[in-house]
Amino acid sequence: MRSAWVVLKRELASFFVSPLAYVVLTSWLVWNGVWFWMLTEFYARNAVSSGASTPLSGFFGGSALFFIPLLVFVPVLTMRLVAGEKQAGTIETLMTAPVSETSVILGKYAASMVIWCVLWVPTLIYAWIMSQHGSVDWGAVTASYFGIFCLGTYFMAVGLLMSVLAPTQIVAAVLAFVTLGVLFTVGIGEFVLDGAAREVCAYVSMLGHMQSFAKGVIDTRYLVFDLSLAILAVGLSIGAMKARRHG
Amino acid sequence: MIEVEGLSRLYGSRLAVNDLSFRVEPGEIVGFLGPNGAGKSTTLRMLTGYLAPSSGEIQIDGIDAVRSSIRARERMGYMPEGVPLYREMRVREYLRHRAHLKRVPDVGEAVDRCLELAGVADARTRIVGQLSKGYRQRVGLAEALVADPPILILDEPTSGLDPNQVRQFRELVRSFGGKKTVLLSTHILSEVEAVCDRVIIIREGEKVADLAPGDSETSLEEVFAELTTAGAAQEAS
Repeated sequence: MRSAWVVLKRELASFFVSPLAYVVLTSWLVWNGVWFWMLTEFYARNAVSSGASTPLSGFFGGSALFFIPLLVFVPVLTMRLVAGEKQAGTIETLMTAPVSETSVILGKYAASMVIWCVLWVPTLIYAWIMSQHGSVDWGAVTASYFGIFCLGTYFMAVGLLMSVLAPTQIVAAVLAFVTLGVLFTVGIGEFVLDGAAREVCAYVSMLGHMQSFAKGVIDTRYLVFDLSLAILAVGLSIGAMKARRHG
Repeated sequence: MIEVEGLSRLYGSRLAVNDLSFRVEPGEIVGFLGPNGAGKSTTLRMLTGYLAPSSGEIQIDGIDAVRSSIRARERMGYMPEGVPLYREMRVREYLRHRAHLKRVPDVGEAVDRCLELAGVADARTRIVGQLSKGYRQRVGLAEALVADPPILILDEPTSGLDPNQVRQFRELVRSFGGKKTVLLSTHILSEVEAVCDRVIIIREGEKVADLAPGDSETSLEEVFAELTTAGAAQEAS
């Protein structure tokens, strides 16, 4: 596991010296800033119909606008993890060092989760701003961030898997975008289908997931889904890395 | 010591390496020679654990490199063809990273030593991506040396070096004679004659010769041309 730590450190060091990191982080904050401003304006102008709804719960669980940047930025952040090494050829030096495929994948996955958290930390300021002008349900805020973390476990794992499978970064990004996009769309089925199909869609639904957490409800079904998918994708990534030697 | 027995590698249905067997004794410097596409890089990639063989055995200092790949890799320094490096890192930072990955006990000392050996100490704080090809090549060599491994596997180590750097490189490799086991692939015949104790020539994945450069009465160039083109001509006719 020491090797995983070494891989993690290099991954983060390289990420934070890349221009990509700052382009993504900046656009991300601009997008969310505008989106949060629109929400506060909306709530300031309109009498709140449902008592539980606040700009913060609207931000975390309000609409598809929350997910659009994620569906784009997550693939961009994960595409380089393994596909970048394949393109640069550095995968050859990496995989001929005395390290296991498991350590490499776990190190890279952990690095991607750190990046995920870095993405979200600045949004804490929204909660602080709200607390300056009214009361904030800190329980719901904590649950929201917990929900975001859980969502990240499988977003990043899916991105990592696509990066392992794809020959180039751009293919990895497209595959991750398509996979997350399909999962997102299936979740929307919650609102248009009936019966068992509706149940399945609700289970997958990113929107439902975040709406539930934004209200402060920690629904274990969503946790089981997030973690199962994350473990599956990371496991498949390790398997695919091992299979690479035989390809 | 490197022992290879009946090594084969298939890419799909194409046989890149076919039933290859050879030994490299401890402290020996062996040249691995062959025309482009003969299977040199594929063989070296199997030795270093990057690719799994389709069949055959590899022993690295008595360790089964197919089953105990990680333990075998601990004993090898490898410089792949084209010397892939993390371009965004600084030279010293990169070597420190590699030393940590290879579980070197005293990283600072190991990095300083390999920087000196490879002749890149003056570039230690520079960013890898901004270095000339010759410097990058030597950073790759420093990386292969950082864990002070008993075995060195070098895939076309002098491509991209200027004549002075080639000479320095050859002196360095010669200085390993008797201390490290070196297997270096190349298609530069003068390189083999300058540094190698023995040469293994392969063609289309098969070994066609295993000789000391001084063995034959004819020059290595003639031997090489004969072994790697005559057969092909025969097959064609």
